[in-house]
Amino acid sequence: MFGVLTALPFGFTAPWIQNLFIFTLMYAALASAWNIVGGYSGYISLGHAAFFGVGAYAVGITFTHWSIGAGYRPFYVLPLVGIGVGLASVPIGWIAYRTRAATFAIVTITLLFVAQQLAYNLRSLTGGSQGIAIPTPSFSVATYEEPFYYAMLGVLALSVLASWYVRGSKLGLALVSIRDDEDRARGLGVQTTFAKLTAFGLSAGLVAMAGGVWAYYLAFIYPEFAVDPLVTIGMVLMVYLGGRGTLWGPVLGAFILVPAQQYLAYQLGASELYLVGYSAVFLVVMLLLPRGILPSLSDRARRMRVGRPPGRRNEEAVAS
Amino acid sequence: MGKRTKGLLAAVAALAVASAVVAATASSRPTAGPIKIGISLSLSGDFSDPGKAVKRGYDLWAAYVNAHGGLLGRQVQLKIVDDASNPNQAVTNYQNLITRDHVDLVFGPFSSLLTGPAATVANRYHYAFLEPAGGGPAVFALKLHNLFFVQPAPVVKCGDSFVAYLKSLPASQRPKTAAYPSLDDPFSSPIADAMQSQLQKMGVKTVYRHIYPAETTDMTPIIASAIAKKPDMIVAGTQSQDAYGQVNALVQANYSPKFLFFANGANSPTEFPSKVGKNNVNGIFSCSDWTPAAPTNGNKLFVAQYLKKYGGNQFDIDNNSSEAWAVGQLLQLVAKKTGSIDNQTIINTLHSGTWSTIEGNLSWNQYGQPSGNDLLVEWVNGRLLPVYPKSFALAKPFSPKPAWGK
Amino acid sequence: MHLFVQACILGLLTGGVYALMASGLALGFGVMRVINVAQGALIILGAYLSYTLYTDLGLDPFVGLLLITPAMFLLGVALQLVFLRPLRDEEREELSLLVTWAIALGIEGLLSVAYQTTYRTTITSYANRSWTVFGYYVSVARVYAFIASFVVLGLLFAILRTTKLGRAIRATVQNPTAARLLGVDTRMVSALGFGLSVATASAAGAVYGLVFSFNPGSHYDLISRLLSIIVLGGLGSLGGAVVAALFMGLAESVFAAEISPTWSGFTFFIVLIAMLVVRPQGLFGARVRGAI
Repeated sequence: MFGVLTALPFGFTAPWIQNLFIFTLMYAALASAWNIVGGYSGYISLGHAAFFGVGAYAVGITFTHWSIGAGYRPFYVLPLVGIGVGLASVPIGWIAYRTRAATFAIVTITLLFVAQQLAYNLRSLTGGSQGIAIPTPSFSVATYEEPFYYAMLGVLALSVLASWYVRGSKLGLALVSIRDDEDRARGLGVQTTFAKLTAFGLSAGLVAMAGGVWAYYLAFIYPEFAVDPLVTIGMVLMVYLGGRGTLWGPVLGAFILVPAQQYLAYQLGASELYLVGYSAVFLVVMLLLPRGILPSLSDRARRMRVGRPPGRRNEEAVAS
Repeated sequence: MGKRTKGLLAAVAALAVASAVVAATASSRPTAGPIKIGISLSLSGDFSDPGKAVKRGYDLWAAYVNAHGGLLGRQVQLKIVDDASNPNQAVTNYQNLITRDHVDLVFGPFSSLLTGPAATVANRYHYAFLEPAGGGPAVFALKLHNLFFVQPAPVVKCGDSFVAYLKSLPASQRPKTAAYPSLDDPFSSPIADAMQSQLQKMGVKTVYRHIYPAETTDMTPIIASAIAKKPDMIVAGTQSQDAYGQVNALVQANYSPKFLFFANGANSPTEFPSKVGKNNVNGIFSCSDWTPAAPTNGNKLFVAQYLKKYGGNQFDIDNNSSEAWAVGQLLQLVAKKTGSIDNQTIINTLHSGTWSTIEGNLSWNQYGQPSGNDLLVEWVNGRLLPVYPKSFALAKPFSPKPAWGK
Repeated sequence: MHLFVQACILGLLTGGVYALMASGLALGFGVMRVINVAQGALIILGAYLSYTLYTDLGLDPFVGLLLITPAMFLLGVALQLVFLRPLRDEEREELSLLVTWAIALGIEGLLSVAYQTTYRTTITSYANRSWTVFGYYVSVARVYAFIASFVVLGLLFAILRTTKLGRAIRATVQNPTAARLLGVDTRMVSALGFGLSVATASAAGAVYGLVFSFNPGSHYDLISRLLSIIVLGGLGSLGGAVVAALFMGLAESVFAAEISPTWSGFTFFIVLIAMLVVRPQGLFGARVRGAI
């Protein structure tokens, strides 16, 4: 999978295709990261776009305030951004985690709007509505997209790796137990707060890194686009579409939706129908395919297997 | 002549004819075919209204040019794509237009927010970037050599004519105190800030200065605060919505300052009176880059063509349409002068000299910033008219502002 | 001091309108455990309907209100039946957020197609008139909006207190299982309750358009405030929503006038965060296992 993705830019050199893939990879990384919190622990965070924006602005600010230089250096800043935002998100997560379920989601939505307001208001830091302009790197025109492509691929790899690692670890078990029944988990001695905050910080850091690459690629950071509710909706939708709580589900969701959205925007762009389209896809997924594509497919595969040897039917039924 | 010589002669003749034919067809092939111009416009989203006005201007220009012999003998074909007022999409659009659709030229989108990122893309591929509506300081800070803002002055200097007008008044009639409620927006607050520093030098005391966030819908507490110290003058760096909001809040508060200036909003000929009331507009000042009756090069033609195609009244013409027309007009002028519309030629040619368009006589510095001045406009008897400088004025400016409803 | 009192007057009037909007949201949660993120969009829809009735048919918004409210009630019931009821009980609370957000986007998209993104305001003849009371100016339109909001709120309370439906709703809010045991058709009650909450949204929308300008994207601003208000007041508590709304309206206005308009929007969030740290269930909310 990653082999194919790594070789891709050599096969498809057209900038517009690479551009498309950069956004696809970005959303795949975002969705995977969100899945760590939303999928594994069951806490639906609707404010993750805030961390995306923070990551974007962090990269922008290192340019304007500390002149980090051009070329490849900003990419080296990324891990620092990721760690920084991850750590900073912990106190925020602590406040949010004082609530559960629906209230938690509301608090995270609020977080999103707070981040946006801060981006607008801290003018000396963020440039307010005038935004931050990052000087464009002098990569050669022909392969301009490639460094960004690889950077985004790197973030995606990290994201999936983190997701895979969490799944198999004690942390993952703790998260799943929280999702099933938090109070019981706590009663059984699971360190729920620690688990939740770790997942939250990890997720936030990854999202911030994606935001950092995005900022550098676009070279312009404006508050309403860096901290955009539609980015949250996008990642959540992709996770639900692909399969919440699975490893590759979010990536699949991104690979389906981003090209589709870009294509539709180019064809039907001249109307607000894209919002209606987004809404329709979301509703269809929620109501008809609530578990997402991957789990539904694996369910069907399992059911097909069950159909054959009659003796094993009870076992399979219990296992699923 | 021997048989061999005849054969040789025939062969040479055939070769000569053949190469002549090849030469003839080869030279006519590259210049045939339409000129493709790629444009990303905000046809949906926050900027959709001005975006559509820009489209009207571009379409009008292309139709006119094509009906009158085309550009250098070739028909103009516009490829306009929607960016939904989103800079990400604008970047993607221009990339697609340049690298996938291989357009010959590009024109600019609406708003500084989108112009900046778009111009950077165009610059990377060495395309000239003539743009009608991105004049905020952030755009020129990019230091792009390929960019040209097709308006007489950068946005920041919009209020300079108003300050000049105030200077022209006898000292007893000038305002003593001023309030500056402005919008946090690349077009708006920079204008008020620039005016404030000039006015303070003139001795006008600042009693209130605040910048409010972009999505503020309730102007009443802001205005309540601004008028608490009873300023003679309010200079507001606004866009349209908040300008209407400020006027409404002032009317409700029953406060009519002696001088009232809006960077935007009050310069829209039909929207403003409909939103604040026809009887509330008189005496309000604003700035503008173009008016229908301005005696600029080709303006009468533009207005006539616009009314023919879209109908209505000349005072309804949105200046975004005139700016778009001016972009096309500029291209025509370059073509006429140099006989070419190659991107590098355009960039080199426009960096020297003054160019007469319907937007005025334009010239730019190396980063595309125009070096002229905008017009001061004022509402006189319910009509928005240019009042300063005198050479473009259609009415005499008057002050102080009458009470609300007069 | 003058400015302070003036700002308080403005803030209270605004807070009254917020109270109406927020109470609908609180009712929706109480009845169905559903956070209706589309409430903002429904309010804007109400505002557009009111605007259209006024500009095309000349109906004053307060008259148009009488037509819009029943229509929106039906819309609310329909939305509940189609989109919310199919959700399984255990996931309903969280999924409802996503589903209603999707509905909000859909409404925003449709409104943008229908009305474009130009800002509108319902400009009636009395839109800019104001009375001067003891040296303070009071906008006529805002007073009417305030009065209308409390009339509708009063009606809502009356319905809840005196009618059979109202009692059934209150029973369902307090304890759905017990209510069902006592013969209340909770599914029907949920649908009707939701319809009521949407109806109040549209009433609020009708008056909103009179005072503020709006476009399809305005719902984000609205919903972020309303969500803070109901968390502050306590999810599910109508009285809490009203008190919180008035308080927030006041705080925001005073902040904007006295301190800085830049940060006035923040008052909502600061109060919210403070409340969450100190008392996560809000002023009047109950600490329910698994719900808060």
